[in-house]
Amino acid sequence: MMTGAEVLVRCLEAEGIDKVFGYPGVTVCPLFDAIYDSDIRLILVRQEQNGGHMASGCARVLKKPSVCIATSGPGATNLITALGTAYADSIPIVAITGQVSTDLMGRDVFQEADITGSAEPFVKYSYVVRDAKDLPRIIKEAFHIASTGRQGPVLIDLPIDIQQAKIEYKPAGPVNIRGYKPTVKGNSLQIKKVIDTLKKAKKPLICVGGGTILGDAEAEVRLFAELHGIPVVSTMMGIGVMPTSSPLYLGMLGENGKPYANYAVSECDVFMLVGARVANRAVVRPYRLERRDTAIIHIDVDPAEIGKNLGTTIPLVGDVKIIFSKLLEFSFESDYSEWNYDLTIRKAAYTDKRTYNPEYVDPRLFVRTLSEKMEDDAIYLADVGENQLWSAENYVMKSGRFMTSGGFGTMGYSLPAALGVRAAFPDRQVVAVCGDGSFQMSLMELATMQQWDLPVKIVIMRNGYLGLVREYQHRSYKDRYIGVKLDGSPDFEKLAAAYGIDYFYLRDNSQMDERIDSFLKSPGAAIMVCEVYPYDSVKE
Amino acid sequence: MKGIFSVEVENKAGVLSHVSGLFARRGFNIDSLAVGETEDKDISNMTIISSGDERVMEQIEKQLNKKIDVIKVRRFSESKVVTRELLMIKVTYTNATRADIMQICSITGAHIVDLAPKSMVIELTAKTKKVDRFIKLMQPFGIVQIARTGAVAIQREID
Repeated sequence: MMTGAEVLVRCLEAEGIDKVFGYPGVTVCPLFDAIYDSDIRLILVRQEQNGGHMASGCARVLKKPSVCIATSGPGATNLITALGTAYADSIPIVAITGQVSTDLMGRDVFQEADITGSAEPFVKYSYVVRDAKDLPRIIKEAFHIASTGRQGPVLIDLPIDIQQAKIEYKPAGPVNIRGYKPTVKGNSLQIKKVIDTLKKAKKPLICVGGGTILGDAEAEVRLFAELHGIPVVSTMMGIGVMPTSSPLYLGMLGENGKPYANYAVSECDVFMLVGARVANRAVVRPYRLERRDTAIIHIDVDPAEIGKNLGTTIPLVGDVKIIFSKLLEFSFESDYSEWNYDLTIRKAAYTDKRTYNPEYVDPRLFVRTLSEKMEDDAIYLADVGENQLWSAENYVMKSGRFMTSGGFGTMGYSLPAALGVRAAFPDRQVVAVCGDGSFQMSLMELATMQQWDLPVKIVIMRNGYLGLVREYQHRSYKDRYIGVKLDGSPDFEKLAAAYGIDYFYLRDNSQMDERIDSFLKSPGAAIMVCEVYPYDSVKE
Repeated sequence: MKGIFSVEVENKAGVLSHVSGLFARRGFNIDSLAVGETEDKDISNMTIISSGDERVMEQIEKQLNKKIDVIKVRRFSESKVVTRELLMIKVTYTNATRADIMQICSITGAHIVDLAPKSMVIELTAKTKKVDRFIKLMQPFGIVQIARTGAVAIQREID
């Protein structure tokens, strides 16, 4: 006989879980106690939301589900933002929350929250375990659901008496959920139509989104684009599919994108969306595309995304990797050189009209220099705000990863997610770039970094403002600044010293190279503060 | 346009709230919603009638299919489906009006299922439009209370 908690730990191990990010409380104590006797590494976080982001960072680089644990009530509700963040970006995490004993549920007892009810809009699926014997099946299903089809977070609510119940451990059989059979293969008729459409096209354009990376299809999509000479634009979540050096790559499209990328979108005759959702930042005015007779090919594993915000000529549901492997089997003559020439000219003719105060660090130059100097396979995490847009615009992709909270735009994501990445890859260079606002949303996790030896490099672009909102108030509210000035922020040098972290400082562009070099080469964790002029704008 | 969805779902706690929550969150209309068990006790059937344009109907179908507890979604056009709704209505009567009410019932196929000294309960199973009309006919007599199920639907056999 084993306890429910011991069975759970066995099941996690069977899923290949060797670390969890958690915060204890009475209702998860049986589970923590079972972890005590296992080989699973428990990483104590400082706030549950960040534990969720750590699991998110870990899952994104491992490309398989990671686990976070919180206690009932406030611990569980603290997780919701992390679940929402993971849900919006389709990141596979399995969140386990403690719950009061089943006989007390529904009576509003101490630290009780209806977490499956509260988190319902932000999870792919959730379970309340009511019988310990169901645990092996539920855990197996949860990992299956999180990591297949359109990936996403799954929540398991686990009452304390279920963790304590004595049961016989029987591993679960194969997963069979009658309401869940995601389409992955891609309809061959539709695939043929894609090829036929591209044959006739004169100005095709591929738009890659986060789904390309989630589907592990970067190489296939890149190869297809290169083979046929099809230019590529990217959503923010799709950054990294194409290396910056590729002549076919036009960068990010949309509201915060490059004018030549948006020109390509407005001029193309075939618009091929690959694992991109069409929310409202990348494809800003979908009806314009619909009005012109642009053929719209939409490839996505989630059928509900196709046709949701943009009418589609050729819907193609399936796994991006499988579909592109099939597309690559077709050979056809294609000559898009005129189109490519037009785009190359426009890209070359582009001049950045924004000006930057020379007494401060130019954030564009900084991001370019930093990402060029980073190791080839390093992982760059951008937070949310101006820092994110500067990063997205100027990040130099080699063979690493660019990660950010794209769909939800969750401030404070980069530091905990970076720690999750580091926990997954202890030898990899990991750099989190945030603003002084976003950094202060999760700076308590510096302690987690130190306690569990997860050294990452942290850049704080300091401008003393919540910059993106300040820009918005500048443009739309005639400089009536309210609630955006960050007076009262701590001395980050002293803060770094308090945590025992190396500190670097950049006042302006002079010495940028040397400072970044020594920052990146410092042996452990390091914080670098860059002074950014508060009234520089990121928007063109 | 109207969309009639017959949705097979897992008969588990919380599924109804997941489905109704989906409609609320995404701003889809629910004209009516009826839930009942099927021949398989693990499966419930929901009949949901919604209105909106084709794009909305397509999204409803896709979003329902995306729910893991949803086993099967059938979407019907109004012409290919038989729908019925049950109405229970309590109306007051006097000696002068009783005969009129009974006559309307007999014309419309409604039944009196309970008779008290001053009021009666009438039952009618019919299409939603007919139910609406019947309620209008009862208004002059004095309606005390109404309970209706919302429509349930099943597809016609097409030869």
